[in-house]
This record gives sequence, structure tokens and C-alpha cells, in this order.
Amino acid sequence: MSQLLGILYKSRHFFLFLILQIFSFYLMSKNNVYWDVSFFNSTNTIVAKSLEVSQNATEFINLGNVNKQLADENAALRKQLTDISEMISIVDGYQPDSVKAHRFEFTPAKVISSTNDLTNNFITIDKGTDDGVKPGMGVISPQGVVGQVAYSNRKYSRVYSILHSQMQVSSEILNKKLRADDKVALGISKWEGNNPKYIDLKNVDRFKSVFKGDSIVTSMQNPIFPPRIMIGKISDISNSSAEAFHKITVRMSTDFSSLIYVYVVKNKLIDSQVEVETKVETK
Amino acid sequence: MNTQTILRIGGSIIIYTLLQVFILRNLVVFDLAFCFVYISVILFLPSSVPTTTSLLVAFLLGILVDMFYNTAGLHSSAAVLLAYVRGFILKVLFPSRGLENEIVISVEGMGVERFIRYIVVMTFIHHIYLFFVEAGTINFFLNTSFKVLASVLFSSLVIFLLHVYLKSLRNT
Repeated sequence: MSQLLGILYKSRHFFLFLILQIFSFYLMSKNNVYWDVSFFNSTNTIVAKSLEVSQNATEFINLGNVNKQLADENAALRKQLTDISEMISIVDGYQPDSVKAHRFEFTPAKVISSTNDLTNNFITIDKGTDDGVKPGMGVISPQGVVGQVAYSNRKYSRVYSILHSQMQVSSEILNKKLRADDKVALGISKWEGNNPKYIDLKNVDRFKSVFKGDSIVTSMQNPIFPPRIMIGKISDISNSSAEAFHKITVRMSTDFSSLIYVYVVKNKLIDSQVEVETKVETK
Repeated sequence: MNTQTILRIGGSIIIYTLLQVFILRNLVVFDLAFCFVYISVILFLPSSVPTTTSLLVAFLLGILVDMFYNTAGLHSSAAVLLAYVRGFILKVLFPSRGLENEIVISVEGMGVERFIRYIVVMTFIHHIYLFFVEAGTINFFLNTSFKVLASVLFSSLVIFLLHVYLKSLRNT
């Protein structure tokens, strides 16, 4: 008996090893079957908390990447949205052509530098002719209209900000009354060079009913921007009976000091549209 | 085993587990080379520690790592195996020293070459066991073998550098 105990004592390491291994394998088999209910699992509060902290750190490091993915996804969604809204026929009998409805394409770009307090403001973006960006294309941000591409080389482009003395955007006023009356109030948005937060809306007929707070969007007649891209909201209207037009000040929706990602808008049909228009003029 | 040894073992468990769980868990090179640096705790246990204690320490360490890796049992099993074979490996690798109790497991005590040999052999045993048990089958034999080889290289390098670094920190 004592000899047996002696043998057992001598090989006690092996037995402990065996017990621990058996226990480990028991856990492993249990883990494979009910892998989410076991105690040794990251549902355990302390473990979960610390893993969360580590995950947060990783997320923070990856934020740049995530931003880029989101910008790409937004460009794709924007394209789909424009395609769909252009396919809807508003008037009976008008059937939108699918080539025309799909004419807009969006390229996400990152803003490298921008100014907003000069008389002629420019924005530099990191996409050029290699990515299909060409002078004349429109640029929008998630908040609204930004400007138009002025010049591009292979990798970079310079954009006329809407805060530029030569820049003007064909715009439209949206409100319930106009929609009920089936009227369209068109105008031209142009910056007066004073305050980077406000822009003027000109050439709006005095007999169109326009109210403070109405939204200003890009018009349907605009070859550069897709229709109904936000420009801003009316902050002030002054009417004098001597003039034919409203005098409207618009608070811009785009905050030019915090632009990060913008989308370059490519209109695939712009050449044919311009061709038609210039032919009529030279007749 | 005095208080100092116990404190040192506890400290090394905490440091290496935190390191493993928060940093090296996210560090996988080419989806091939994993780094399991926590086995340093078992590798560098003082040789005066009895096998029973080292088995228990290894099990505790393995369970801790398992909790974070969501692999209950896998790492504890591998760590226990490693602690069990440690004595034999020391005897095989350094027969001239006689009793294993006399060996000081460190760069100075062993010499760089033998120290590295010890680390690589131990890491290899641990990784080959870990990866094949994790795979569960030998269907992915080639794939798993690549993983083992790449991970052994990576882990051994990190273990060696970390040991030298921590040693120099302690000395200054």
C-alpha cells in the first residue's frame, strides 16, 4: 500500500498535469457546444469592458479609414438617389429618359486647403484628371453646394468656392405655397463678398410668394449640379415696390470652414446640352 | 519560494497578460504570424519553483488569456503542457549542468545562443500544440504548419527582445 502511495507521490506532477489537461479539454468541448454561455467567455463583465476599451482605441486609430469608406458609400447612395428622383415623372406624359436620369456621377474627394475670408475663395481637393475630375464640374458637400472645379492637374484640383465673386448658381425656392400654386421661383445665387455665411439670391420675381425660412436649392435648369441640392435658407427678404425683384439674403447650409469630404459631380451629358444651347444662340 | 518570487511571478503574469490581450492580440502579420508572448511567464519561471506550482501558474495564466480570446481551455491546455515539459526540455538542452535547479534562466545565466535555443524549442512546442488543437483536424496540415513556423519565428523574436528589454529596465 505504501509502495503504491509512493508511486503515486512520485508521479504527482503527471497526475496534476493530467487533471488540468482534462479540465481544459472539458472546457474546450463545452465551449464548442454552448460557446456563449460559458463563464470563461468575453460576456464576462470585466473582460468585456476591457475589450471594449481596446476596441475603442483601435477604432480611433481607424477613424480615417472609416471616414473614407463612409464618403465612398455616400457618393454611391447619392448617385442612386439622384437616379431615382430623376426617373420619377412629375407631369403626366413626360417619360424621363434613363440616360438622362443617370447622367450624374459622384467622386468623393478630400479637401486639402480652403479659404473663406477673401473676395475670391478657392478650395483645393485631392482628386484630379486621373480620377476623372475636369474643370467645370460641380462640387457639393454633405451639407450643400460648394462650388465648381476651376483647374485640375493629374492629382489635384482647384475649386471655385461659391464664395467667389464670379461664381453664380442657378437656384430655386421651395415652399408649400409655390408648390400648391404649381409655380417655380427661380433665381441666381451670388456671393456679395461680405460675410462667408450669407449669399444673395437675385432675379426672383416680386410676385412670387416667398417667405423667410424657405429652402433654396439648385434648380432643374442647372447643368452643373444635380437638381435640389441644398444651398441654404432664406434669412432676410426686403421688398421695395419700385423694384421688379425680391432682395433676398440666404444663410448658407455649407460651413466652409469645416469642409473635409466633398463630392465632385460629373454630368455625362453636359457636352450635348451645351452644344444644343450654343447652336440656338449662334443661329 | 519566498515572497519576492511570488510577487515577481504575479507581476509577470499581469504584465504579459495585459500586453498579450491589449496589444499583441491585434498584431497578426499577413494573417499568418501570431504572437503569443504570454508564455514568457512559464519560460522564465525561476528554476527553483516546483513543478506543481508552475503547472498551476500556467493553468491560471492560460485561463486568463482564454477569457480574452474566447477560447476556453485552448490556451490553458497548451500552457499546462508547456509547464509540464519545461523540466524535461531543460534537462535535455543543458545536460552538463546536472540538476535543473542550478540553471539560471536568463541571457547571462545561459549565454545568448543557448538562451535563444531554449526559447525557440519551447515556443515551437507550445505553438505546434496550440495551432493543431485549435484547427481540430489535420485537414489543413500545410496551412497550419505555415502558421506554426511563422508564429514561432515571430513569437520567439518578441519574447527574446522583451525579456532583454525588461531585464535592462529592472537593472537601471
